[in-house]
Amino acid sequence: MHTTSENPVARVIWEGSIPIQFIWDPTETQGRILEPYFVEVPRCSYLSLITSQIRRDFAAKRLGFTSDEGEMWFDYQGIPLKWHYPIGLLFDIHALQAKSINKETMLPLPWRVTVHCQNFPGEKLIKNPTLKSCQDYFMSMIKEADYLRNGSTKKVMNMSKSDQTQLWEGLWSKSYEQFWGMNQKLVSNDGTMARSLPIRIYLPENCPIIQDLVSPLDEQGQPRTLRQILHAAVPDLFPLVDVDVGSSSPVASVLIHGIKPSLETDATWAAQTMAYPDNFLHLVVVIE
Amino acid sequence: MSSSGTPSSESPPPTAPQDPALNPTTTEPTGPPASPATVIANHKRKDTSKVIVRFRAIGNAPIMKQNVFKITASNKFFAVIQFLRKELNYQHSDPLFLYVNSAFSPAPDEIVNNLYKCFNTDGKLIVNYCTSPAWG
Repeated sequence: MHTTSENPVARVIWEGSIPIQFIWDPTETQGRILEPYFVEVPRCSYLSLITSQIRRDFAAKRLGFTSDEGEMWFDYQGIPLKWHYPIGLLFDIHALQAKSINKETMLPLPWRVTVHCQNFPGEKLIKNPTLKSCQDYFMSMIKEADYLRNGSTKKVMNMSKSDQTQLWEGLWSKSYEQFWGMNQKLVSNDGTMARSLPIRIYLPENCPIIQDLVSPLDEQGQPRTLRQILHAAVPDLFPLVDVDVGSSSPVASVLIHGIKPSLETDATWAAQTMAYPDNFLHLVVVIE
Repeated sequence: MSSSGTPSSESPPPTAPQDPALNPTTTEPTGPPASPATVIANHKRKDTSKVIVRFRAIGNAPIMKQNVFKITASNKFFAVIQFLRKELNYQHSDPLFLYVNSAFSPAPDEIVNNLYKCFNTDGKLIVNYCTSPAWG
């Protein structure tokens, strides 16, 4: 029915995963050190999707603790992790991007994430990190992306309720076929050119996210490249041409799903193939 | 949320505000490129320019007499939600749902300026609000 299985890049991205070591906040376990919980998590997944299995582990180990009533939240090196962001994006921002700024050389794997069940940081994170909220934000992102491509959300709204649910269910059950069976029509825009590409750019140190209207074609009618888009957003970090290739190395590059793509990549292809399941191409800028 | 981010309720100006971010000519490089540290510091600086937001009630949501406001562009959408709740005198527990262009519900941490740049209609960001979920 669909040609989704013919897309090896999308499949490799779908299968990308990160080993995470979940550590219990010792102040919440009455000083007792609990064994960490190790799990390999899909990059495309969300923390809210694995909360219940972490809770089960906690319940099995806690031996008399009663602190699992509150909302579960996570931090890395003291920075609360946004539960409505995909895990791979969180890792690229908080581990890889920060590493480039701090000039660290060690790859932070497994990723050591601290688990909390108390003192939810309501001023830093969106409240109510339930599975249902996560699904709502996920669908909102897909609609926002659709609006950028089409100037309306007709493509998503014309999907049946069960087809819409299939996107989330596919993510939840880690089924590439189920998810991409639906997602392909959205990201390819049914074969018509998008008005604008759903792209977000993340600069280091928690700078405001950059999102703007980005047409798939440049002024010459040529497919716009990642470099052109990054140049328009942050010209000082991304010159249009690599001046004197060899003599000066680029000051910045960009991560998508943990890898550095060529900046000459066609942005439309990247948006269709390398977007997260939320339909946005998330570009994480790293300083070289 | 800083106090400078509080939306103001004065009447809208006759024309759209001059947002330097929307004027591409100001981004032309004029010398050697700035260092990454400078670029990051510049992006972190709080922009105090404002954009126009028009609220539209949906369904049985209460209608506002004055529904056009100038809101600080660098604010998060959360500030828009808080502002509307205050205008409507809604308690924290009262359900209120906000949408852009009757289409999607931005996350509270999205930047107002990004929403304005991408989704404004004739220089206004249209925010619909209702007391029960609409549009999926």
